[in-house]
Amino acid sequence: MFTFTDMALLTPDMPLSAALEQHPTLIPLVSRFGIRLGLGDKSVAAVCADHQIDARFMLTLMNTYLFEEYFPEQKLKSFHVSQLVDYLSKTNAYYLHYQLPNIERHLGSLIASGGAENRNLALLGKFFAGFKQSLTDSIDYDTRKWFPYCLALSAGEVEGRDRIAPTAPDTADDDPAVSQLRDMRSIMVRHLSGEYNDNLAYAVIFAVGSIERDIRQHNRIRNRILTPVIDALCRG
Amino acid sequence: MPRIALILPDLLQRAGMAAVLERYFAPVEVEQFGTADDTLRENGLFDVYFTDCAVFTANVDFFLPRRSQCVILVPDGSAALPGTETPRVIATGGTLEELLDHIGKVLVPVRSAAETPSDELSAREVQVLQLVVSGAINKEIADRLNISLNTVLTHRKNIAAKLGIKTISGLTLYALMHGYVSTEDINT
Repeated sequence: MFTFTDMALLTPDMPLSAALEQHPTLIPLVSRFGIRLGLGDKSVAAVCADHQIDARFMLTLMNTYLFEEYFPEQKLKSFHVSQLVDYLSKTNAYYLHYQLPNIERHLGSLIASGGAENRNLALLGKFFAGFKQSLTDSIDYDTRKWFPYCLALSAGEVEGRDRIAPTAPDTADDDPAVSQLRDMRSIMVRHLSGEYNDNLAYAVIFAVGSIERDIRQHNRIRNRILTPVIDALCRG
Repeated sequence: MPRIALILPDLLQRAGMAAVLERYFAPVEVEQFGTADDTLRENGLFDVYFTDCAVFTANVDFFLPRRSQCVILVPDGSAALPGTETPRVIATGGTLEELLDHIGKVLVPVRSAAETPSDELSAREVQVLQLVVSGAINKEIADRLNISLNTVLTHRKNIAAKLGIKTISGLTLYALMHGYVSTEDINT
């Protein structure tokens, strides 16, 4: 397949600062590894060495984040379950402590901007509250049950008879969280009416799009890497 | 989505054209052919055929009946045939801006013809929407409206396509916003 692209895959020799300048959406990703700004012009490899991070792992995640069609399955499967679980836990924490409150804050201002008149905005607020509850519940399940189980299994601490093979994941396209977020954006773009502040509506749509994209990458790693690896461990 | 066939012997020209179409006119479905071979002939319906003079003249039997969908790429514009509407001729020797303008003139009508003009729900679809949102399952909707299960599925598919909304909670929000249901109608 021949496609034009403005972007090239990121490599270890490239300055991490250059990558983040070009793709600011990677900033939350690297911060999940404990990397903060003020990077100077150190290469990705050098920054990772300073932080004792597996550069190959972080680069693979950065590239799968940028290129939705790029998915080096073999490379990803070579990483340790604990690396994957650690990364996925951190994305969950980021949703809970940062992105959800961020959307809520914008949404709260948007609802206020319509005064009491705009009933549709209140409905939108309720829709988002429902979404937040279901995402929070599934993160809670990950934290209490699923991730500890994955870690125990990979450490060989789960007896054969206690092993539970994971259920086949939904395809990324059918993920209920992603579909709900997409619906929310679509409803706002197509059907918002009455009095409201345009900039706040944009802020909400932008923030929703950004968590949606993050969850899509999270799901690709969870469904296509972690789940098959765990499944193989259960059978093995 | 417009289906486009590129029938160009030169690999680079073909790949370049495919890249331009996918980058600037997505979503499009592009299939590439080196010659007007059997695969192309059997491949059924394309909305537009991009080709060059040599291929066109060597395969007039195939292209002439489809000339209103054909576009002939030529190195420079002076070769354009005056007075003939079809097949259209596009010069590839000019600027990118000119090239995109010309391709756009060909593709935009194809695309808008393919799309359903209205996103208004029919009266029946509104009924189905109200039942879906109130928590009815497909079987109940079929019974209530006295239609088949398949018809319910078709309505649901059309509703999702017209509104651009997939989830039940999204449909609920839409129905509430438009007054198709009130909060009391919803169980959950």
